[in-house]
Amino acid sequence: MKILSMSGFVPEQICDTVRFTGFDGNEKLSHYCGYAADFIAQVKEDSSIDGAVFPKSCDSSRSIGSYLEETGKFLYSMPVPAVMTDESVAYFAEVLKDYKQKLEQHFNVSISEDDIRARDEIISGRNAKIAFANGHLKDFSYASYIREVHSSLNAPYDFSESRISAGREGKPVFLIGSFLAAAGLAECIEKAGLKVVSDNLPESGRLCMPAKAGISKDDIYTKIASEIMSRRTSPTQDRFDEIISVDLDEIEYTGCKGVIFATQKYCEPYDYLFSVYKKALDEKGIPVLQVQMADSTDGSGKDAALEAFADII
Amino acid sequence: MPDSYLVHVAGAMRSYYKDFSKYAKGREPSQKVAWVTSFTPIEILDALDIEYIYPESYSAVIAASGLEQPLLEESTRQHLSCDCCSYSCCFEGCVETGKGPRGVPPKPDVLIATNNQCNTLPGWWSILAKRYNVPLIILDYPGEFTEDPIARAYVEKQHKDLVLKMEELSGNKLDENELAKRIENSIASVAAWKRVCACLKDREVPPTLLFDNINFLITARCKEETALIYNLMADEMETYPECDKSLTPLFWIGYPLWYHKDRYLTEVMDGFRVCGSNYITWWNLDYEGDTVWDKLFSAYNATFLNLSQKTKTDRLSSLISASGAKCAVTCRNKSCKCDYVSAKNVGIPQAELEVDMIDREYLDVERAGKLMAILKETIS
Repeated sequence: MKILSMSGFVPEQICDTVRFTGFDGNEKLSHYCGYAADFIAQVKEDSSIDGAVFPKSCDSSRSIGSYLEETGKFLYSMPVPAVMTDESVAYFAEVLKDYKQKLEQHFNVSISEDDIRARDEIISGRNAKIAFANGHLKDFSYASYIREVHSSLNAPYDFSESRISAGREGKPVFLIGSFLAAAGLAECIEKAGLKVVSDNLPESGRLCMPAKAGISKDDIYTKIASEIMSRRTSPTQDRFDEIISVDLDEIEYTGCKGVIFATQKYCEPYDYLFSVYKKALDEKGIPVLQVQMADSTDGSGKDAALEAFADII
Repeated sequence: MPDSYLVHVAGAMRSYYKDFSKYAKGREPSQKVAWVTSFTPIEILDALDIEYIYPESYSAVIAASGLEQPLLEESTRQHLSCDCCSYSCCFEGCVETGKGPRGVPPKPDVLIATNNQCNTLPGWWSILAKRYNVPLIILDYPGEFTEDPIARAYVEKQHKDLVLKMEELSGNKLDENELAKRIENSIASVAAWKRVCACLKDREVPPTLLFDNINFLITARCKEETALIYNLMADEMETYPECDKSLTPLFWIGYPLWYHKDRYLTEVMDGFRVCGSNYITWWNLDYEGDTVWDKLFSAYNATFLNLSQKTKTDRLSSLISASGAKCAVTCRNKSCKCDYVSAKNVGIPQAELEVDMIDREYLDVERAGKLMAILKETIS
């Protein structure tokens, strides 16, 4: 089974999934996230895809199932809890069990807890390697790093620092945003003389957050649920204070001179966050550049803005 | 002289707006104030004597008063993208400038947002939480996306936690009988509103009346007088003359256009009459169950926009079929990604219009007119 998945809220441990990184498709929906529309397009147009799993965490992702219902493919809309409590972790663990059962029923397969634990070990190992590299971003080309991260999001989940090229010097910046599908943007950033030394992207800085202490490892579903939910906060989890506070500390600690806020057009969670994030940065005198991408393949054409930003900082 | 619903409407409006700055004139509210989204279990707040205010509804009022444009511009100056829900942009402009037809709402002591209609609202409430620095409570409703026993336990726990937090805020202790009474009031309001809605199919009822008066089902559904208002309204509407059957019956799918004097596009609807609308049924909540907790779960977890596409299609199709509509206007609302897709596969010809429910400058009226002409040709 080849299941296309969207978002870090979808567990990689239950079964192998293909993480959506971008698709040049024909699904164009007005006032709808281009990244989500491209995800829909790939599920519809790519005959090798058997199913899709996506979170119910923003308005675009919660309606993906509506656009795909006629494909006849396996669809799972994952109701990610909007709150972080012990009860919501327990609830999310039940959701993960349900997801596993639906997979088993649809594909007539059996997924054992041993399978899940084995996959969990591999994923944890990969995440630790990404976390280590993320802590040393100043040594790498960010574009090369993010491509390596993206390739490690699919089986066999292999991440190797040795494949990341060294980076040039540049003015240090912090990068925050939604999944950087168009990794070409990272190249534009470097070309403009900027250097990403720290980030808060779902597939990178957010994935690296160490799991909360005290999580019971006896129940594998609870462990996975807790790890996913205790990662660095996403704007879809509605704790803007927490995001701003953690990011500001990191920006200060890493000596970043500016912030690049890279999001998809029509991505409301990040648009809402930006309105308060910018005010917090303004108060600290930290310049910010908002870069909006039209869809999952739109990574170019930002050179002028990035060069101007590099001049400012 | 028979009792008129209008007298009670005036009283209900006075009561709702009493603490808005235009009327309060500096007086502090006597109750604690919660700002809530429109599918919040307000029965709990009402039973604890907490005042609740609906920012979404106020944005509709602002647009209906013709004041939305400068406020939308102000929200852009506040770095809020104009791609965001225009309810939120309009309201952001209002609270930033302090300008609104009834002033600004009383400051919140707590913010409560739910995700049973969309995920936009918790995001919007998050920026309000930054502005007012007050607690933000998110109520998470899985809807049809999770099997019943799991979702029920999860939601019930959140409702009970909400009670504890609101008891602490208000200093009052919840009396379950009082909560049950509020739920009974809500059930009566829904039943009475259904009587009102039924009149749209065959009577000479302007849809504007329904689009405007659903306000009480949203903001005051658990108040005793709401059912009274709607029953009186239905009594009156049932005496209205029969509608003109020579006009083509049309179903309005989507939000009313709050900025429009009629709330829908009368200028491009010659030869049509609106015989039904899904928006006016969204708050017909189903309080099914034996205990108060079961009833609240059933009402607030299974809201229309929290259902699977299949259930939404079934419900919408059955509404359309009951209305006798031969065609539909489907509003592709710039501000609501979740609503538009509800209208898939409804089985009648549709004119799909790009609209926004608040921003009057978004719609291309000429293009809308052409699409309506094509619709007319299709069904003739």
